[in-house]
Amino acid sequence: MLIKLTNGAVYDPASGVDGTKQDIYIQDGRIVNKPVGDDPVDKEFDLSGKVVMSGAIDMHTHIGGGKGNIARILLPEDHRQDPVARTDVTRSGCGHAMPSTFVTGYRYAEMGYTAGFEPAVLPINARQAHMEMADIPILDKGGYVLLGSDDYLLRMLTAKKDQKAINDYVAFTMQAAKAIGVKVVNPGGINAFKFNQRKLDLDEQNCHYGVTPRDILQVLATAVKEIGVSHPLHVHGCNLGVPGNVNTTLDTIQGIGGLPMHLTHIQFHSYGTEGDFKFSSGAAQIAEAVNKNKNITIDVGQILFGQTVTASGDNMRQHANHKFASPNKWVTMDIECDAGCGVVPFKYKDQNFVNALQWAIGLETFLLVEDPWRIFLTTDHPNGAPFTSYPHLIRLLMDRSFRNDVLSTIHPEAQKMTNLASIEREYSLQEIAIMTRAGAAKLIGLQDRGGLSAGNWADITVYTDNVDRQKMFEKPDYVFKDGQLVVVDGKVVSTKWGTTHVVKPDFDASLEKDLQKYFDRFMTMKLGNFKISDDEITEDGRGSLTIHPLNGEVA
Amino acid sequence: MSALTFTLKHKPAQRVDMSPLVCQKLAGLQVNQIAALTLQNGKRKIRVDELFVIDGVDTQNIIIKGSFEKLDFIGKELEGGSITVEGDAGAYLGLGMKSGEIVVTGNVGLYAACEMKKGFLCVNGNAGDFLGAALPGNKMGMKGGTILIKGNVGERAGDHMRRGNILIEGNAGDYCGSRMTAGTIAVMGQTGNYLGFAMRRGTLLLWNQPVASARFNDCGAHTLAFLPILFAAFKKLNSRFASSGASFNRVQRYAGDMSEMGKGEVLVKIN
Repeated sequence: MLIKLTNGAVYDPASGVDGTKQDIYIQDGRIVNKPVGDDPVDKEFDLSGKVVMSGAIDMHTHIGGGKGNIARILLPEDHRQDPVARTDVTRSGCGHAMPSTFVTGYRYAEMGYTAGFEPAVLPINARQAHMEMADIPILDKGGYVLLGSDDYLLRMLTAKKDQKAINDYVAFTMQAAKAIGVKVVNPGGINAFKFNQRKLDLDEQNCHYGVTPRDILQVLATAVKEIGVSHPLHVHGCNLGVPGNVNTTLDTIQGIGGLPMHLTHIQFHSYGTEGDFKFSSGAAQIAEAVNKNKNITIDVGQILFGQTVTASGDNMRQHANHKFASPNKWVTMDIECDAGCGVVPFKYKDQNFVNALQWAIGLETFLLVEDPWRIFLTTDHPNGAPFTSYPHLIRLLMDRSFRNDVLSTIHPEAQKMTNLASIEREYSLQEIAIMTRAGAAKLIGLQDRGGLSAGNWADITVYTDNVDRQKMFEKPDYVFKDGQLVVVDGKVVSTKWGTTHVVKPDFDASLEKDLQKYFDRFMTMKLGNFKISDDEITEDGRGSLTIHPLNGEVA
Repeated sequence: MSALTFTLKHKPAQRVDMSPLVCQKLAGLQVNQIAALTLQNGKRKIRVDELFVIDGVDTQNIIIKGSFEKLDFIGKELEGGSITVEGDAGAYLGLGMKSGEIVVTGNVGLYAACEMKKGFLCVNGNAGDFLGAALPGNKMGMKGGTILIKGNVGERAGDHMRRGNILIEGNAGDYCGSRMTAGTIAVMGQTGNYLGFAMRRGTLLLWNQPVASARFNDCGAHTLAFLPILFAAFKKLNSRFASSGASFNRVQRYAGDMSEMGKGEVLVKIN
């Protein structure tokens, strides 16, 4: 079947196309060149006056894994207040801050997203995370496996194992957990929490292992680079949410010594201690450091006002923040030998000084970082806001007068503490396309995604140009996933199953001998069961694996 | 004006969500408009007149005749006016009601007066579990108003209760007053096991000695001046709580739950 999308204004940063009117042809799920013969076009869509982008990619969204289910159990009211009825093509579900898997897939697709990446796959819970993501329709998915607070790695560091051994362990874990990247959350801090440390600075030692967060970041970033994984080490840094943590973050950027590193939800790590309330914006310093250090990429983790729930592996910081829980209930827990988990419901209020300034800090970061290829649009769903608020966020970025209107309604002291009003930048459509499509695909190392040139998979979103960017991005006219029309006028019209993106780095299998002993002694799971096989993803007939090449490899 | 009366035509096999038929939602509607409203019945939607014969005009005074135990959500979030249920009511009777009055001649199901804010609810028969409780997962149950049950109640009466009165002429099941934050529950009959389980504050006023619990400390016999005032407040009710013989002021006081704050009290009448 040959589909033709005629005369749309195409925004495809991956091939440098910026709003040119072009025709796009789709065949067998992929974008193809204009057929040379006179193959009949089976279906043609007239896209005059429409904006065409590739399907959006959310490179950091908590859509799988145990913490989501804990949040669901903790917040039945989140579900009661937001029921979704079934239709002929979609299943029922519920949930605003943490929707059910099916509703997650539908709502993402209805905003023009075609892929989402779970950034905190705990190795021991990776199977559950993949099973849960397997129930998210339409979207492609993938996960970053969480290392850095696991006892095995810390033991290796204490024993001064060489980088090669650590590379093998990282590669093994990525394969076992079916990951496409490596994430580190509060490096070593989650582990230190288990030894009753309640904070851990970049150069502070874990009181049991004697390892510092700086050591952990260094070896993991090196490992990710040396085994050739495209996605740089995905770092949720130390001291999340602590006033003054901007210095920790700047130190982290300096300390990594030029290695590729992605700093996630950086808004939560950009706080100074100035002003009457000892809480101020560090966004300008962070943006300057990001602009200067080309090895650094960031996503923002913008907060938006309203009810949500924060779910994180960082139980050290979640425990510290539990007294702000709203409604007043929370969970933190240990995950055996791997990490932790903390779920704290949160209501961000525009009349609260801290929340209002957090909002401004996120936007300052967006607007002060110059290179859209190195900054990504996230709310750290659901931690800053549910992903359904992305269209609103895009409008804030693209429309200065709207931004200033909202700014004038927030806590007056927070208005004084931000220079947001003086920033004139407005994002262009092309820059939005870079942040949410081409840049994200490049960062994660996705082959044949995030672009609209021939050879790419046909993940395509069509919007009607509208000066109200929120309205525009809320309701795409058409969304194609792998060439199948899944959304029309912002409603799902058919569903399909996305693929799971992974990398498969090689490792020296002899490391399993030592791991075997470790698992037998300490873990509740046998090493053989720990490893997820390909069949587990694919055997139900709807999941599939897409293996992406490592750096230096030819696909 | 005659009361707006819904007379059940037949008993449907599936449960019915009666939440559209509350005084504030019907105000200003004509009978034919009310007849055309839809109710969720199992997985189907049905018109009101498929299920009920409708008479009368006063939307602030509703009578449901021939009611039975599958009519759920009667009087949901009632904001004034009165609803009289002739027969039994299903689950979630008076869920989150804000004011007004609901009277049921028969029995009621689970979660009656759940998260009630204010108003008066009277059941002449028995009530199911979780009377005046919080919805599952929520932290605050009944926040005000008065519930009068002339029969017995199930388990977990007043779970997470925060304010208001629950008056029970009959017996209460297990976990009566569990996780209470505040408020008053009075039980004339017997109580079950685990009375006041994890209660933080609040008062359980009992006519009969409860099952002894290690979680409550005996604080001795007291003459409490507030009790006659409390009973005086019940005088206007059509209830055994209003009779002059009901009032007393000598009680044995137990404080607990000691595994919580221990500021709750169980007051047992000294005969």
